[in-house]
Amino acid sequence: MRNQPVAISHHFTALSRIRLWYVCLLVVAGVFVVRLFYLQVIRHDYYQTAALTKQLKEYEVPASRGIIEATSNGKTVPIVLNESKYTLFADPIYVKDPKAAADAVARIIGGDANSYEAQLKTDNTRYVVLAKKLDKDKAEALDKLELKGIGTREASYRTYPQGQLAAQLLGFVNDEGSGKYGLEEALDAQLKGAPGQLKAITDAQGVPLASNKENIVIEPQQGDRVILTVDLGMQQQLEDALKSGLERAQSKTGSALIIEVKTGAVKAVANYPTYNPAEFFKTEDASVFNNAAVSAPLEVGSIMKPLTTAAALDLGVINKETTYYDPGFFQIGDARVTNIEEAGGAATRSVADILQLSLNTGATWLLMQMGGGEINKQARERWYDYMTDHYGFGKPTGIEQGYEAGGSIPDPNEGFGLDIQYANAAFGQGMTATPLQMAAALASAINGGTYFRPRLVEKIIRHDGVEKVVEPEIVRQDVVGARVSDDLRSLLEFAFSKNYMIYGMRNSHPEYSIGTKTGTAQVPKPEGGYYDDRFNGTFLGYIGGDTPQYVIVVRVNEPKIAGYAGSRAAGPIFSSVVENLINNGNVTPKTN
Amino acid sequence: MRPSSARKTSTYDGGTNQRRHKPDYMLVVASALLLVIGLIVVYSISPGLAAQRNLSENYYITKQLTAILLGSVVFVIVANIPLNKLKQLKRPLIIGAGAATLVALALPVTPEYPAHRWIRFAGLSLQSVELIKCALLVWLAAFLANRVRSGNIDNQIATFKPLLIVLGVLGVVVAVLQRDLGSAGVLVAMLIAMVYVAGMPIKRLIAIGGILVASFFLLTLPFAYRRDRVTTFLNPEQDCQASGYQACQALIAVGSGGMFGKGLAHSVQAYGYLPEAANDSIFAIYSEKFGFLGSALLITLFALFFTRLKNIMERAPDLFSRLLVTGVLAWLSTQTIINIGAMIGLLPLKGITLPFISYGGTSIIFVLAAVGLVFNISRYTTYGANTELETGPEAAKRPMTRAGYGAYTTRRP
Repeated sequence: MRNQPVAISHHFTALSRIRLWYVCLLVVAGVFVVRLFYLQVIRHDYYQTAALTKQLKEYEVPASRGIIEATSNGKTVPIVLNESKYTLFADPIYVKDPKAAADAVARIIGGDANSYEAQLKTDNTRYVVLAKKLDKDKAEALDKLELKGIGTREASYRTYPQGQLAAQLLGFVNDEGSGKYGLEEALDAQLKGAPGQLKAITDAQGVPLASNKENIVIEPQQGDRVILTVDLGMQQQLEDALKSGLERAQSKTGSALIIEVKTGAVKAVANYPTYNPAEFFKTEDASVFNNAAVSAPLEVGSIMKPLTTAAALDLGVINKETTYYDPGFFQIGDARVTNIEEAGGAATRSVADILQLSLNTGATWLLMQMGGGEINKQARERWYDYMTDHYGFGKPTGIEQGYEAGGSIPDPNEGFGLDIQYANAAFGQGMTATPLQMAAALASAINGGTYFRPRLVEKIIRHDGVEKVVEPEIVRQDVVGARVSDDLRSLLEFAFSKNYMIYGMRNSHPEYSIGTKTGTAQVPKPEGGYYDDRFNGTFLGYIGGDTPQYVIVVRVNEPKIAGYAGSRAAGPIFSSVVENLINNGNVTPKTN
Repeated sequence: MRPSSARKTSTYDGGTNQRRHKPDYMLVVASALLLVIGLIVVYSISPGLAAQRNLSENYYITKQLTAILLGSVVFVIVANIPLNKLKQLKRPLIIGAGAATLVALALPVTPEYPAHRWIRFAGLSLQSVELIKCALLVWLAAFLANRVRSGNIDNQIATFKPLLIVLGVLGVVVAVLQRDLGSAGVLVAMLIAMVYVAGMPIKRLIAIGGILVASFFLLTLPFAYRRDRVTTFLNPEQDCQASGYQACQALIAVGSGGMFGKGLAHSVQAYGYLPEAANDSIFAIYSEKFGFLGSALLITLFALFFTRLKNIMERAPDLFSRLLVTGVLAWLSTQTIINIGAMIGLLPLKGITLPFISYGGTSIIFVLAAVGLVFNISRYTTYGANTELETGPEAAKRPMTRAGYGAYTTRRP
């Protein structure tokens, strides 16, 4: 030793101690590496499964609802679209300063800051909706504020580029995303599509992590795009004509529709009053949601007479030229069938007179001919057969509409006073049908006898681009014989030529073929019998050139205007619709 | 060999057999590597964490970079303090640590700061225990070097009693009042390591060890949350939902990483599953991202860093500076072991950061200060016999090279 330690009592062994400590540290490092190998390599599968159990979650990816289009000036234009709007919601627990947050929200979206503040102070819920249907720029402005506990969520809403047009025909989509009323309800499943699935690795709050490799996405099957048979020009004019016609006739409600004779395609359906489908939730009276033209049957009145006539012609019990002695009334049991005063009592009448003068006794006489001269079981069963099996009454037509009604036809053999009931049914009382059923039945009776299912859908374009054109669907081909069809048209055109002035038409448009029949139906009391002073005006007619093109049905409920409801209230609406069709070139005139 | 007078700073305190040379730059390289790894992990999970707390996307990474910048400044300052002036810092450090601790104890507990550990000022916060570590380091190194020099290292009254008093005060303040058992463990480890390297007889060390084990049980059993942590540690899978949640999620993070890891951008556990993903649990997130290979690499990097410290200890110019390095090694290695050990289910959870890697300004700045101190000391080597360091056969074992470099060209007899 060169340097002797001063007052040292033992030999320092610091280096050995340092190295021992160092070795211990290395051993710990080694143990850690071994442990890591155990956890990460040997037990990897176990921990990977444990991780995925918590991290992997499944989500539904909503499908976007199919849009709806219709024809306008020969082009297909959208009538229902989707739009992203934003819901502003809050979790009050996280809102530390409700006053400041409410003020900030009110600054951006307007509204009452105090009511927002009250909502943000609720302590019994973790979810309050402050506003709905916010536009994107407002939602983004709100997101930028980064208000704690307040967030926006995207939601898809229907928008209506044509405004209120065809509202009842379309229906609406409620907040749960279900179609209600009209087309939205009838085609809900097709429009809705099928939601997709996202299996995603998420954070602890369940928000998918975009970066992850293990995400599995099943794309949603988007809803089908539906193209309607409706012509928006006709629809607009029909709605306008109905509205002004109802005002003129001092009626509160009514319906009208136009259907294509040779295909059953519905070109326009109007009801009044209507509503705004974009703000359906503001509508207090739910009855305006109904498409009354297909969902509200009524006792149709005299517009039934052409169909009774066609049935008798088709059965061969009369022909177009048949004449008969009309006594002016028929006593059936303790009831009596009479005519209106203007018909003028007992006389010899022709079949054409029955329609032109709207003789109830004539319709009763037609029914008698079906029974070989009297109203009996055979007459009832024959007329029942025509009404239900030929003309399709008593059951829904199958048009693509929610809440379609089928109407009711009395049973030919069950019940009391069957004969008077059936006499009534011959001129459209004691039975009910919808305007749509009347239109489809008349179309079949004048087009040579083919009943087409009335339809609103022209084409469906599936999510994968496959187009399905909806062909006219023939329900029955021998509703009446072809000759009967010709005869009926000439009878109805004769009736029109005699009466068009009453319907407010200035000329008879000889270059077109127009046939019409009015109806002034008594309104039944709920307890039985009819009101003396309440009538529904109905109108059934068609227009075409060489062949009939459109059937038009108008219904005016309980007009206050003087005169017969059919000709004075419903007639002018028909006239204005027909003149619109002619002026717009919708009808092909006769060739000679 | 030039005469020592030619180089003014060839010794820092005029000691014999001393030599000044280039500092150990490998120390800086290893630290920088560890810091970069930490930055990468914090950077990759920063947007996700920020989104959960409604902060801006770069909040975490910006704060971490600021801390590293500040830490580098502190590093440069500490690395250039003349070593012979260091003992004079003893008193200000003790006063500073004491004052900070009193302030921390006086400040009320808030949801954000659930114990009396932090002092807060103008939006900044600091754990007072970091200052205690510094004060303990300098005071204890000076105290022990003095006792060794005077030959009193195994004196019961002069050495052993003051140590027990310091241990008791720190235990009460840090473990009981601040409820920070993890940091208390680090302080105890520093104390034991320094006493051990200073040459305290083994029987005294065993006595200190016995007192510590007894006080551990005394401190653990009365506190429900600590009992939970111990039972959780013994059986973590039993209670994954409540008290074992963090331990379970840490194991899931580590285990699901596999051999190669999920990749830098593909950590899932950081997104709300594993609490303290950027701080105490960052090793588990690192393991999830980089797998077994990455984890083993990180542990190797830590081992290399600690090897540097050990080498510097061996060559230290005098006992005071050797004990400083000892304290730093004990401090950083204990934190590393407690932190990683908890993440891989070998130790109970303690709220302790992983040096260099964890997010958090206090941790980064004080770790860099400690490294600066070691860097400073690494400029000097004492070779040959030195009564203060080793005597007898031990002295011959002293390395004749400076840390990390080749042998000196000449050797003094």
